[in-house]
Amino acid sequence: MTNRPATLPRVDRDEVFLEYTKSICPVCKVVVDAEVNARGGRIVLSKRCRDHGKFEALISSDAEAYLAALRYNKPGTLPLATQTEVVDGCPLDCGMCPDHKQHACLGIIEVNSNCNLDCPICFADSGHQPDHFVLSLAQIETALDAFVEAEGEPEVVMFSGGEPTIHPHILEAMELAYAKGVKNVTLNTNGIRLAHDRKFVKALAAIAPKPPGIYLQFDGLREQTHLAIRARDLRSAKQAALDNCAEAGLIVTLAAAIERDVNDDELGDIVRFGIDHPAVRAVAFQPVTHSGRHLEFDPMERLCNADVVDGLVEQCPDWFKKSDFFPVPCCFPTCRSITYVLVEGDNVVPIPRLVDLDEHLDYVTNRALPDFTVRHALEKLWSASALPGTEASATELECATCGIDLPDAVKSLTDKAFMIVIQDFQDPYTLNVKQLMKCCVEELTHDGRIIPFCAYNSVGYREQVKADLTGTAVGPLVPNSSALAQLLSTTASGARTTEVTIGKKDQTNVGRGLS
Amino acid sequence: MIAEPNGSLPTEPAEIKACCAAGYQSDVVALILGESYHPGGAALTRRLAGAVGVTDGCEVLDVASGPGSTAMLLAREFRASVLGVDLGEGAVAQANRRAADAGVAGRGTALVRFEVGDAERLPLPDASVDVVVSECALCTFPDKLAAAAEMARVVRRGGRIGITDVVLDPDRLDPELADLAGWVACLADARPVEGYQAIFSSAGLETMSVERHDQALGDMIDMIDARITALAMAKSTALADVDLASLRRRVAVARRAVADGVAGYALMVARRP
Repeated sequence: MTNRPATLPRVDRDEVFLEYTKSICPVCKVVVDAEVNARGGRIVLSKRCRDHGKFEALISSDAEAYLAALRYNKPGTLPLATQTEVVDGCPLDCGMCPDHKQHACLGIIEVNSNCNLDCPICFADSGHQPDHFVLSLAQIETALDAFVEAEGEPEVVMFSGGEPTIHPHILEAMELAYAKGVKNVTLNTNGIRLAHDRKFVKALAAIAPKPPGIYLQFDGLREQTHLAIRARDLRSAKQAALDNCAEAGLIVTLAAAIERDVNDDELGDIVRFGIDHPAVRAVAFQPVTHSGRHLEFDPMERLCNADVVDGLVEQCPDWFKKSDFFPVPCCFPTCRSITYVLVEGDNVVPIPRLVDLDEHLDYVTNRALPDFTVRHALEKLWSASALPGTEASATELECATCGIDLPDAVKSLTDKAFMIVIQDFQDPYTLNVKQLMKCCVEELTHDGRIIPFCAYNSVGYREQVKADLTGTAVGPLVPNSSALAQLLSTTASGARTTEVTIGKKDQTNVGRGLS
Repeated sequence: MIAEPNGSLPTEPAEIKACCAAGYQSDVVALILGESYHPGGAALTRRLAGAVGVTDGCEVLDVASGPGSTAMLLAREFRASVLGVDLGEGAVAQANRRAADAGVAGRGTALVRFEVGDAERLPLPDASVDVVVSECALCTFPDKLAAAAEMARVVRRGGRIGITDVVLDPDRLDPELADLAGWVACLADARPVEGYQAIFSSAGLETMSVERHDQALGDMIDMIDARITALAMAKSTALADVDLASLRRRVAVARRAVADGVAGYALMVARRP
């Protein structure tokens, strides 16, 4: 026997393997195998494209929170109708296909692709563009009809864009949604028209049976934040828009796109500003979605939901702790977290401290039956269709607080409730079909499809729809990742693209046996 | 942390026990402490059940059962046969009502009943139960050794006694908590872990394990604070007789005690040899 080397040192992997799933190549968007691992207290998604190599992206900066959230995974509800068949598998059959695990809580209609801003950050890649589309009322009706067919009485339709307030028929579109039986309508806007056109604000307030909720883009209070994200100092416009909304009685959610090292130190200030302004009843924080147009970023250092929670706790230590933010059970629970606080003067009370949510919203641990009235009330509050200030949410809040045996007096507090939502949308780097398959936030398209929002932004559906509507080829758009800098060139709108030649098809685990 | 509306403090042990039990039955206390009444909530009760080995048909005594949440959980989720004993007649009546509403009232597997009784003179024969549990209660008993000796008497040989309770370092306790109001809320007469172990040992019990759950106490203090604030916001008449400022001051002191490591919470398991 020859001399064998001394025993080789055995080495353990530096990560815990959690999931095998599917994702896409962020460059060519081809569907590839992916795995999710816990590494160094964080959650990382890894995948390899035959043509474009290996990619890794941070999914959560808090592995413990990611794993804990899985217990809040509520069984999905079937939609009344689906629009497509299962042919190629997720995420290529949108939608919605019969394999989807959840109905749609929230439907988004992008009524146009043009905008009165040209923001450096825009997942929709909108702006002053020659090749833009404006949906006709008939096309909007097709989108609404598909939604009504799927949902019966849809909970929420959000009108978005582009910039929906410059759509010539936006008021009629919202009225049409109500006429079709949609329960709540919201308008997603940058606020410029609301700031300058008080007649328009009055017309919004006059919409029957109730005015739309206003979802106002609001990324921070510093000039530098505005310049970095919007390329314009919009502070006075935002203030005027909010004041006009307050005067007209419109209820506003501040929607903040948060990017690391740009405005992640303004989380607390945004909440404080919102609580102080009479029109504002909610803040929605969205870590920047690295689809469409955005600043250069490192996918392994991107901002996640857990970072927003940590930032809020750090910036408002007297108000929040980590356990005040609870995963939303209707979508995949790692995607979205919500909390409600009761506010009066300097006093702020997070609702999760009053009621043991674990006892009601833990769907996995086998337990004695929870009180279904309370569970139902909490499910309505902790859902993707939760809206601030509506009658429904007031009722649910009453019910939830009653369920925790606080007296009737607390019912009077529902007008003091303030909602904070944190939503990490997926992009071509982070896309995980496991989450996508249970998405309940959907794009409603002009051709009557219902497509999960993150599939729409990541897989190429947005480009497909835009090309169809404008008659001009779009993309392919590639995330502006620092690792891909060499490969990318800039489009006319400021997004990144590359020459994509799709090589051999991925053949791992696809349609073959051993022979 | 529960303010006494009358202000005068009882001093005799018997008087203290009665006042304590009465305090826990009052509506204000129920509003402020919520359903669970003890730090760690249902999650820690489940952990306690695992640590003492509560199983199907196991006969369990819950000492100072209060509104009955612990006893009902052990019956419903662990299918134990549970007797809850509490000094407060109102609490016992309420707990029996809740058990009836939940369909678990009675004697036997997965059922629970509640009786009035004194922890220092338990209404049970010697060696008559498999397990004794007591959550956030021993710390309030004036004669802890007598209570521990009673637990040792009624449990069978080899049976376990599971306690979750406030632990604290008495030398560093803020004097503001060391009066009766603090006592009712489980802080002022709590002991360090070694103190409880010495009591178990004097009662003839062997300590098997001790787990710290300090965060549970911090979370409960946050919950109490949130409930007080919510009730105050709602201008609730339930708080009409309560000195809010002093209540809030005590909450702040209690929170600091947890943050400084002066007060905490522990799950302790002892065994009758």
